Amino acid sequence: MPELGRAALVVALGLTVYAAGAGAWAAWRGRRRLADSAANALFAAFGAAVVASVVLLAALAGRDFSFAYVARSTSRELPLGYTLAAFWSGQAGSLLLWFLVLTGVGSAAVALNRKLVREVLPWTVPILAGVGTFFAFLLVVVATPFATQVPPVDGAGMNPSLQNPYMLAHPPLLYLGYVGLTVPFAFAMAALASRRVDERWIVATRRWTLGAWTFLGFGILLGAKWAYEEVGWGGWYAWDPVENAALMPWLVATAFLHSVMVQEKKDMLRVWNVVLVALAFGLSLFGTFLTRSGVINSIHSFTQSSIGPWFLGFIALVAAASTVLILRRLPVLRSRTRLESLVSREAAFLYNNLFLVALALTVLWGVVYPLVSEAVRGVAVTVGAPYYDFFAVVFGLPLVLMMGIGPLVAWRRASLKALAVSLAWPGSAALVAGAALLLGGAGSSLLGLVGYTFAVFVLGAIVLEFVRGTRARHALSGGGWGAALGSLVARNRRRYGGYIVHAAIILLLVGAVGIGAFGTTREAKLARGETMDVGGYTVRYLGSEQIRGANAVELRAGLAVSRGGDDLGIVRAGKNRYLAEQETSNEVAIRSDWLRGEDLFVIADQFNSDGSVYLKVLVNPLVNLIWLAGLVFVAGALVTMWPDAREQRRLARRFADEGALARA
Amino acid sequence: MRRRRSPARLVIALSVAATLAVFLLYTSFAGGATPSLRPSQLADHPGKVSLAGVVLAPVRGDARGDGLRFRLRDIDGKATVNVVYRGSVPDLFKAGRNVYMRGELVNGVFVAERDSLVTKCPSKYVPKDS
Amino acid sequence: MTLELVGLALGAALAVVAVVFVARPLLGESRRGEGPAPADDARIRLLEQRDRALAALKELEFDHRTGKVSDADYRALVGPLRREVAVALQALKPREERPKREVDVHA
Repeated sequence: MPELGRAALVVALGLTVYAAGAGAWAAWRGRRRLADSAANALFAAFGAAVVASVVLLAALAGRDFSFAYVARSTSRELPLGYTLAAFWSGQAGSLLLWFLVLTGVGSAAVALNRKLVREVLPWTVPILAGVGTFFAFLLVVVATPFATQVPPVDGAGMNPSLQNPYMLAHPPLLYLGYVGLTVPFAFAMAALASRRVDERWIVATRRWTLGAWTFLGFGILLGAKWAYEEVGWGGWYAWDPVENAALMPWLVATAFLHSVMVQEKKDMLRVWNVVLVALAFGLSLFGTFLTRSGVINSIHSFTQSSIGPWFLGFIALVAAASTVLILRRLPVLRSRTRLESLVSREAAFLYNNLFLVALALTVLWGVVYPLVSEAVRGVAVTVGAPYYDFFAVVFGLPLVLMMGIGPLVAWRRASLKALAVSLAWPGSAALVAGAALLLGGAGSSLLGLVGYTFAVFVLGAIVLEFVRGTRARHALSGGGWGAALGSLVARNRRRYGGYIVHAAIILLLVGAVGIGAFGTTREAKLARGETMDVGGYTVRYLGSEQIRGANAVELRAGLAVSRGGDDLGIVRAGKNRYLAEQETSNEVAIRSDWLRGEDLFVIADQFNSDGSVYLKVLVNPLVNLIWLAGLVFVAGALVTMWPDAREQRRLARRFADEGALARA
Repeated sequence: MRRRRSPARLVIALSVAATLAVFLLYTSFAGGATPSLRPSQLADHPGKVSLAGVVLAPVRGDARGDGLRFRLRDIDGKATVNVVYRGSVPDLFKAGRNVYMRGELVNGVFVAERDSLVTKCPSKYVPKDS
Repeated sequence: MTLELVGLALGAALAVVAVVFVARPLLGESRRGEGPAPADDARIRLLEQRDRALAALKELEFDHRTGKVSDADYRALVGPLRREVAVALQALKPREERPKREVDVHA
C-alpha cells in the first residue's frame, strides 16, 4: 500500500510545518493554546511516521518488489532478519528512521518535561519540528521510500558485507545517537530563545543526552566489531570518514557531559555549554550527511545522491541560526562565578574539554580538508591514517592522564600538597607497572609502554576513589563493606557510573594499544599440507571445500591450528560468493583465546587453481578488551542514568519552592 | 564594564595556541595529506599520490607473483594509465569497478604500493543507482 | 485498484484524525489550564544558588572524610561555602511562608 505510506509522509510534513510555524508564533506571542496545539502536531507527526514505517516494514516482510526501495535492497533468498534491516540500509529508509526517531524521542522529551520547563517548551516544540520539517521534506520531495515500479522477478539483494548480525543493530544505534542529540539542542536553543537560561533545561535533558551519547558510543563499537569480523583486514578502526562521522559528535557530547557538571556545580561555562550542544548537533547532522551523500571518498559510500546540497544548506542554516541566537543572548548567559584556581576539578574539566574538542576538530579537519582542497586548489587529496593516529596520540594521551588526575582534584581549589598525597598511590602503581613492562619486553614499542603505564595510573586512581569512598561510607554508616560500596554508588550514581565509563575507556585503550603496538602479521602461500608459524601458533593448510549455503556459495580453506605442540582444532577461512548480488566477500576465521586475551585472525586471501592458498595470518593481542569495553561502557552509562530517588526528591523540593511545578 | 581576565581565558588562549602550533608543525613536516588524482592528472604530479579510476579489462598477471597488470581510466573521462600492483586483492575487484590505490608513476607505469588497492563499493548500503 | 483506494482512504482518515487532534486544544478549553504563574527568574537563581552551595558543602565534607581534601584545604573552603548557603537562605526568607526545613549538611 504505497499510497498510504506516501499519504502518511505528506500528512507528517504538514504537521511538522504547522508545529514549527504555529509553534514559533505561539511562543513568540505567548499563546498557550496554540502552543499546545503545536505540541499535539509534533505528537501526531510521530503517529504518521509510525504509519509510514509500518507500511515500509510490511512491504519488506512481504518482499513486495513493486516498491522500488524493496527491490533495490533485498532479494527473495535474503533471510527475513536482513530483509527487515533493509529498512535502514537504504537512503530513503534511513531518512525515514531519522524522522521516526526524531519525532518519537522529541515527543517523549516534550511530554515528560511538561512541568519542569514550562516556559521553555513552547520554543522546544517548533525547534524540534523545524528539524523534523527538513527530514519530512526530504522524504516527500527528494528521496521517498515509496516510489513504485513494475515488480521485477527478484530484487537486487543486499550488499553481502551488510549481511552480518552487527549490521542489524549498528545503524539504528547510531541513528538513535545522532537523533538523540537533537533533544539537548532543541532544549538549549529554546532556553536561549525564551531567556530561561537557568539550570532547568540541563536537568530536563540530562538523561536524553546521556542516552544519545551511550547509543552513539555503543553503536561506534558495534560498527568496529562488524568491521573487524566482516571487512576483515585485521583491524577494528580505520579512520574512515564514515566512522569519523560518528566519532566527532560523540567526542563533543563527551566534552559537554563533563563541562555541564561545571555549570551545575559552579554556574560557570554557560556559553561554552550551549556552544558544545549546538556543535554536537551540527556534527551529528554532518555525520548523517557524510554517510548519506557520498561526497567523500570512503570505502563505505559512493552514492552520488541528490540529498547532499539540501543537507549542506540545512547544516549552514542550523549553524547560522544557533550562532546568532547564542550571540544575542550573551548578556544573559554571562556567568557570575569565575575559576578560583588552575588546580581544581573545574579546571581539570576545562582541560579535558579543550583536548576533546581539539581532537574532534582535528578529525573534522581531516574529513573536510579533501573537500576544501578540491574546491580551492582543484587538487583532491586524501588524509591518511598517520594524520589521525598522530593527533589521537597527541591529544589522547593527555586526556588519559587527565582521566587519572581529574577525579583526585577537589572542586574549587586544591593545594598541590593534597594532590600529591592523592597521586602517590596511582603514581607509584604506574611506575611499578612501567618497570615490570620494560623487564617483560614491552619496550619494543614506546607508545605501548607509555599507553600501558598511563592505563595503570588511571585504573589506580579509579580504584583509589572507590576504596576511599567505601571506607568513608563504612565509617559513617557501619554495616558490611558491600553495603557501604552499594550505598556509595547509589548516593552518587553520576560520579561512580562515570568512573566505570572511565574504566571502559581504559580497557579500550589497552586493547587498542595491544593490537596496534604488539600485534604480529605473516603472509604465506601454502600448498596442501604445508605449515606456517606466526606469533607462537602453527597453522597447517588441510585443503579447501565448497559448500552451498542459503544464498551464497561458501569456499573454505580448512586450517589446523596448534600452539607449542597442543592441537587447538580446526578453523575455516574463505570467501562467500553471493548469487543474487553477484558479489564475493571475505569470510575470515577468528579464533579467540579469552585466557590469553588474543585472537588468531586468518584471512584466506586468494585460492589458486593449483589448490594452494594465500594466507594472511594475524595475532591480535588483547583485542577482546575492546569488545569488553563496550559492555563496561554501557554498564557505567546505565549506572549514571539510573533514576535516583534522592535526586528526584531534591529537585522536586526545589521546584515546589519555585512554584514552577504545578501541584497536580 | 571591563572584567578582570580570568585564568580560564588564559588557559583557553594558551591551549588554542599550543594546539595550533602542534597542528601547523605536523602539517608542515609530515604533510598528512597525499594528493588524490585521476589518471589524466598523473603527469603533473611526481611523487607519492593516490590514484582513483575505473579498472579496464583485461586484467592479467598474478598479484602475488610479478604483479597484477591492468589499465585504469578516469572515472568520468578517457585518459588511461598502465598499473602494476602487488599484494592482496579485494574481493570486489574486477574490471569495471572503481578503485583507488597509492603509488607513483615510474617510466609511464603507475607502480602501486603493496596492499594499497581499495575498491570503492558502489555504496555502503545502496547498490549503484544507475 | 481497490487496494489503492483502500490505501488512499486510510491516508485520508489519518489526515482527518491528525487535524482533529491538533485542533483540539484550540477548540475546547485547554485541559492544562493556566496553572501557577510563571516562575520568577531571580527566585530560581537564588534557589539554584542555595542548592548548589548545599551540594558543594556536602561534597566537601565527604571529600574531606575520604582524604581527598586536606585539613588545611577544608578549613579554607568551608567558611566561604557556609556563607554562600547563609546568603542564599537569607535572600529567600521573606517569601518563604512555610517553616524552614532542617538543612542537613552532613551526608
